[in-house]
Amino acid sequence: MSIEVKNLTKSFKDKTVLDNVSFKVDDGEILAVVGLSGAGKSTILKLICGLTKPDSGEIIVSEGDIAMVFQYSALFDSLNVYENIAFALKERKEFKKKYSEDQIKEIVAKNLKTVGLEGIENKMPHELSGGMQKRVSFARAIVTNPSTILYDEATAGLDPVSSTIIEDYIVRLRNELNATSIIVTHQLSTIKRCADKVIMLYNEKIVYQGTPQDMIEGGNEYTRQFVTASIEGPMKAASSD
Amino acid sequence: MTSFAKLFKQSATYNLGKLLALQLEDFFETLGEIGIRFWHVLRLIARGKLNWRHIIEQCSRFAVDSLPITLSIVGMTCIIIAMQVAPEMVKQGGEKYVGALMAITITRELGAIMSGFAIISMIGSAYASEVATMRVTEQIDALKVLKVDPIEYLFVPRVVAGFIMMPVVVIFSSTIGLICGGVASFLSAHVSKLNYISSVWQGLFIKDINVALLKSSFFGAAIALISCVCGYLAYGGAKGVGLATTKAVVWSFVAIAIIDYIIAAIFFF
Ligand SMILES: Nc1ncnc2c1ncn2[C@@H]1O[C@H](COP(=O)(O)OP(=O)(O)OP(=O)(O)O)[C@@H](O)[C@H]1O
Ligand SMILES: [Mg+2]
Repeated sequence: MSIEVKNLTKSFKDKTVLDNVSFKVDDGEILAVVGLSGAGKSTILKLICGLTKPDSGEIIVSEGDIAMVFQYSALFDSLNVYENIAFALKERKEFKKKYSEDQIKEIVAKNLKTVGLEGIENKMPHELSGGMQKRVSFARAIVTNPSTILYDEATAGLDPVSSTIIEDYIVRLRNELNATSIIVTHQLSTIKRCADKVIMLYNEKIVYQGTPQDMIEGGNEYTRQFVTASIEGPMKAASSD
Repeated sequence: MTSFAKLFKQSATYNLGKLLALQLEDFFETLGEIGIRFWHVLRLIARGKLNWRHIIEQCSRFAVDSLPITLSIVGMTCIIIAMQVAPEMVKQGGEKYVGALMAITITRELGAIMSGFAIISMIGSAYASEVATMRVTEQIDALKVLKVDPIEYLFVPRVVAGFIMMPVVVIFSSTIGLICGGVASFLSAHVSKLNYISSVWQGLFIKDINVALLKSSFFGAAIALISCVCGYLAYGGAKGVGLATTKAVVWSFVAIAIIDYIIAAIFFF
């Protein structure tokens, strides 16, 4: 259940987003991907789960379901919370056979409890706040017991308490399912709490690879700028081009 | 040389040409995608990938939601035709043929095509904007990640519903059209009820009805497919959704005109 990315290159029209990027995430490991806005973090996740094709390079993901928590939740807006979370279980043959309606109800209720949102089964996505949508999206992603989980800013926009709940759950999922995870995040607290490894993207390349502790305490000039949130440093916030 | 190139790039000819090239590219992309998705949907149907729960849901939406609009459009058109034609025909001694004329007009052409227009504006546009919104808000990506085929989940039930329900819509609207035509003939030219009804019977041919039903099935499926495809190709936010919807409506109009022509050519010439 590992993820291996080899010499990945991806561009949109004439703009290169990733240039010859390679990294590896081992079984049951949690990798944090950081970088400024527009660095290509979401793009990497979309490449790994097969939503976009790389221009060149190779992505090897071992067997099993890949789940993804989208940056903007991407809940099905014509379905209520229950139907959103139960979606894969109801639409996919292998689960349809496995679970009865009652069992599905139970699973949904359990997952909602996990994210601290009991009893909102009948609400529609537009009736929820952004943070609640995020958490429902999280509950939807993990319903199939995936072996690889990609989190695109799963804790962004959440209050600190909900954030911690999700972070703990990310770690718990790794412990229980031995899931391999990649988390994209801007929050140092999330990195500290969850990640085993960190990579940092800038200007189409990986500019740092190391452990969370090393990144926060030492690292290199890039991570120092990131950690201290300083304008001074090697990185310039992306302009419009 | 460079300044000439610069000037040329600013010229209307160049920009018009560029615009035309973009339009052409878009045209062929859409056409190709419609072709590809048509086969895709057919293959899924042939493999029995039919979720009847979704199909029935779409059926009720397709027919029930659109019925008021369809009935009023077809009804109004028939009233107008009867008002224009019935007095003339009565003047020339053709009172006995008013019903037949209405029946032939409606079964051969009007019922299906006017219902088609109504369905495009009600259902086609809704399908397109729905699928387009799902595209630009990454809901389609979410479907794929959850390993649910968007074509199977979104396209197939809609296309099948269109194929099944469009004839039903056309039967209803044509019946209403005939009734409205009769009332309008009576009010505008005093064509008697008895005269009108017996004349309608003479103007109704089994072949016309069969062809109309077949044609409307194709209309329904085509509208659903084209609307879904246009939505599926959308990109770039609210404006993209708007463009996709417009495109779906325009393409659907053209498509049913072409299908209408082909079917008329096959069965009536
Ligand atoms: N579909 C697309 N078409 C064109 N360019 C794109 C597309 N998707 C992403 N990009 C470009 O690729 C770059 C990386 O985008 P990406 O969404 O991966 O950034 P990110 O690191 O996730 O940023 P953020 O932290 O703001 O979410 C951006 O410059 C963006 O403009
Ligand atoms: Mg992103």
